[in-house]
Amino acid sequence: MTSPVAELVDDDLWSAIGDPTRRRMLDLLLAGAGTATTLSQQLPVTRQAVAKHLDVLNRAGLVQATPAGREKRYHVDDAQLARAAAQLASVGSAWDARLRRIKTIAETIQRTQHS
Amino acid sequence: MEIGTIERELYIQASPEVVFEVVSNPEHVRQWWPDDARYEVAPGSAGEIVFGDSEAGGQVVALTVVEARPPHTFSFRWTHPAGETATEGNSLLVTFVLTPSGDGTLLKFTETGFRELGWEAAALEEMYQDHVNGWNMFLPRLVPYAATLQVQP
Repeated sequence: MTSPVAELVDDDLWSAIGDPTRRRMLDLLLAGAGTATTLSQQLPVTRQAVAKHLDVLNRAGLVQATPAGREKRYHVDDAQLARAAAQLASVGSAWDARLRRIKTIAETIQRTQHS
Repeated sequence: MEIGTIERELYIQASPEVVFEVVSNPEHVRQWWPDDARYEVAPGSAGEIVFGDSEAGGQVVALTVVEARPPHTFSFRWTHPAGETATEGNSLLVTFVLTPSGDGTLLKFTETGFRELGWEAAALEEMYQDHVNGWNMFLPRLVPYAATLQVQP
């Protein structure tokens, strides 16, 4: 089944953020802008691997690049990251509402049985 | 921050047997989630849940029971394409684990699969999000409903 509200860009965004190394990179970049070289020094992966991950994050709009000498300097796009976080949070809040109902129903049954 | 998994834990002042019934039995599930639910509470049972009126543009969504061990664990996969076997990669996995705690039950809830399925699954879930107003409408109906129930402990 397809969802009429999902756009192609959203799939890119989701898979970009789904990878643990890329999430670690986002954490590092949130602490301060960095290049493929500086990031690779803080991660157990090669500079080339970091550069590939940065490409994925860049395509998803999660980071933006500015030229810095022979390299590019990356920083997090706060708006796009907030958008990704908000989407999952809304799914979580839907379950919060369902779980509250489960609790209320179960507790009502329990009281009814013992009254 | 783990993105791609939803985890919740809550204490319920009811026995694990009662909580198991509420999270698994389609009669109860209809009261807290979809408008209709059709499946057997047995591993491998393939069924469906319906949002809205299925005769009038409602959404029918596949649901397959994975594990049913009363009163400990109930899990199911959903959102897989109709007619396909539910597996990792084509569906979301919802798990309820119940642990006795004092006079009640500790309910652990997880939903996984968003990372494998991609963004569309999250958007799909959002479509089925409950509105706060729905809860206000639901509460007054609950007590008379619960009074009619006969749950075997």
